Amino acid sequence: MIIIMLTCAPVQAFEWRSTTLASGNWAVDVEDARSQMLELALRPEVDLRFSNRSRLTAIARARVQTIDGLRPIDVDTDSYSPASRPALIGEDGELELRELYYERQWHGTHFTLGKQQVVWGKSDGLKVLDIVNPQSFRLFVLENFEDSRIPLWMFNVVRPMGDWDAQFIWIVDQTYHALPKFDATYALTSPRLVPSAPPGMKVEPSPVHRPNRVFQDSDAGVRLSGFWKGWDLSVNYLYQYQNLPVPYQFLESDGEGPYVRVSFEYERTHVMGASIGNAFGDWVVRGEFGYFSDRYFISTHPAHTHGIARSAEWAYVLGLDWSGLDDTFISAQIFQSGLLDAPRGVVRDELDTSLTFLVRRHFLNETLEAELLWIVGLNDDDGLVRSKVSYELADDLNIWLGADFFYGNRDGLYGQFTDNDRLIVGGELGF
Amino acid sequence: MRSNGLINMISGLAFCLAPLAVTADGLPEGDEIARRINARDEGVAVSRTLTMELTDRRGKRRVRETRAFRKYYDAEKRTAIFYLEPKNIRDTAFLTYDYAGQAREDDQWLYLPAMRKVRRISASDRGDYFLGTDLTYEDIKLESRVSIEDYTRKTLGEDEVDGHHCLILESTAKTEQIARELGYSRLEQCVDDEIWMVRRAQMWDERGNRLKTVWFKDLRQVQGIWTQHVIEVINHKTRHQTRFTFSNVDYERGVDDDVFTQTALRRGL
Repeated sequence: MIIIMLTCAPVQAFEWRSTTLASGNWAVDVEDARSQMLELALRPEVDLRFSNRSRLTAIARARVQTIDGLRPIDVDTDSYSPASRPALIGEDGELELRELYYERQWHGTHFTLGKQQVVWGKSDGLKVLDIVNPQSFRLFVLENFEDSRIPLWMFNVVRPMGDWDAQFIWIVDQTYHALPKFDATYALTSPRLVPSAPPGMKVEPSPVHRPNRVFQDSDAGVRLSGFWKGWDLSVNYLYQYQNLPVPYQFLESDGEGPYVRVSFEYERTHVMGASIGNAFGDWVVRGEFGYFSDRYFISTHPAHTHGIARSAEWAYVLGLDWSGLDDTFISAQIFQSGLLDAPRGVVRDELDTSLTFLVRRHFLNETLEAELLWIVGLNDDDGLVRSKVSYELADDLNIWLGADFFYGNRDGLYGQFTDNDRLIVGGELGF
Repeated sequence: MRSNGLINMISGLAFCLAPLAVTADGLPEGDEIARRINARDEGVAVSRTLTMELTDRRGKRRVRETRAFRKYYDAEKRTAIFYLEPKNIRDTAFLTYDYAGQAREDDQWLYLPAMRKVRRISASDRGDYFLGTDLTYEDIKLESRVSIEDYTRKTLGEDEVDGHHCLILESTAKTEQIARELGYSRLEQCVDDEIWMVRRAQMWDERGNRLKTVWFKDLRQVQGIWTQHVIEVINHKTRHQTRFTFSNVDYERGVDDDVFTQTALRRGL
């Protein structure tokens, strides 16, 4: 598609700009002092700017991760479409075309065509509307969103209309959340996400049925955003396959007796959402709201066919940021989601609440940054505490030291990783 | 948009022709100096390359290269700054809408490429230092102008900077709250009374301690508009220094309104 556009355009003079970021991270498990992660990554980016003000951007990533449990082979890549799937280099290496898109303004309308990230919403750390692109959960939620978000092939058109922008996206890439395999370091075990069989009965997962018809299984959405009387506002609609497959359970038997076969299917939903934001003195208020017409939840109630209950869901986040102290940023958010149909037997509560607290402080003319993030899951009494100190050694050279601690109920989203507490040291060089 | 530049020119001319309000020594009064500084033509819109050199007390130097745009919409001013170098902060961008007067708070946004989001930020911290430099958000906003509402002014005398005759303008924060907000209790500015631009400024913090000295250098005309090309700051408390160098200054090309939008922050240059 991009090649066709480029070859049809008249030959243009162009400028070339390139950047490469090289990063390394080493994480050590707090409990047994074993290496949990040793990763080196290269991220080259090339920009071609043409004389007609159009632009071609390409971003790649080459990554080597040698510790069992976090290697590229420890992630299930069946959720990727062939056009987006990273290429494995042995078991420890991975090469991926992260983004490749062409941008052009034409009659006042801005076109971005190709593999890209589109980010909606205003929340930090947890997501309500930032669901256009799926995510890799290789490191659960510990990876920066820019790195864990999976770019998709799509048409992205933005038309300015006065103080507002109207955006249309059409996603022709059937790629969904990439999940760790069952024996990976951050394999999901929470009953919220993984069905469990009766004691003594084995579970046989079937291959995932990923939608693969480019046009019939495409996703589409629209968004209207603008700035009005001091308020940042947006409304959006998205028709998509949900990024997590639904684990339908079937009781079957073979020569060895009964077993549970789990069949993973992707289901569609309509998403309607809105976001707001404004600043008042030292405070910034921001929020986003989403309504999901069809959500699927693991259920233990015998009335629910194949162990899955369906319900509409609403979710919102409300955030407050405070900058009243010099060089200091403090932020708090509340996330809540509720089931509209309240089916019995669903393994999650009808109302789910999480809180986040963030404190960030700069020192030495912003060369040194210290940050503490606390995510609390109120329903399961679990959470995650992240701390990080980073220092700008030189232009283009940053180093950091951090610690991540999971705690609480082992059936919770965060408590399931209680044994994964880690210390991490890393650095990044740009050239 | 052209009308704003024409009004500035006419105002400037009117001030030149009108008799000066003078002190007993025959020097212009403080408020008169401030009005003449602010009446100077700054152009309706300007684009320029801004290079920031930040040097700490041990001599460690960091360099940031940016493209900066500014445009007046009547009394409202919009500024956009896009970071080009170093590579690990490339595409970071900052946008501000500065409204005239105190009735409406300014609006500011910051785009962080690592988050792929435009973030609304508080604009009330006028005295906070701008992105690691020794200039505050208020300093960046004022550029070569002076704040009228925040200070009472007095002409102290005369001096010379780089061979240019100057009037010494003392500005004192009207209230303790203003001093706390801005980080300055007092300023002494040496104002070139030929071109009505500040050539040197000294600031004292809210406790009355000497805080920093700012030099405005390489003042010359670009397309008929007097323009500062170098700003050097030394923070006497931290002994950190900042040097802003402006190049590729263009007042005539104009700046598209699109540049001053959140979409432009996200897309970059």
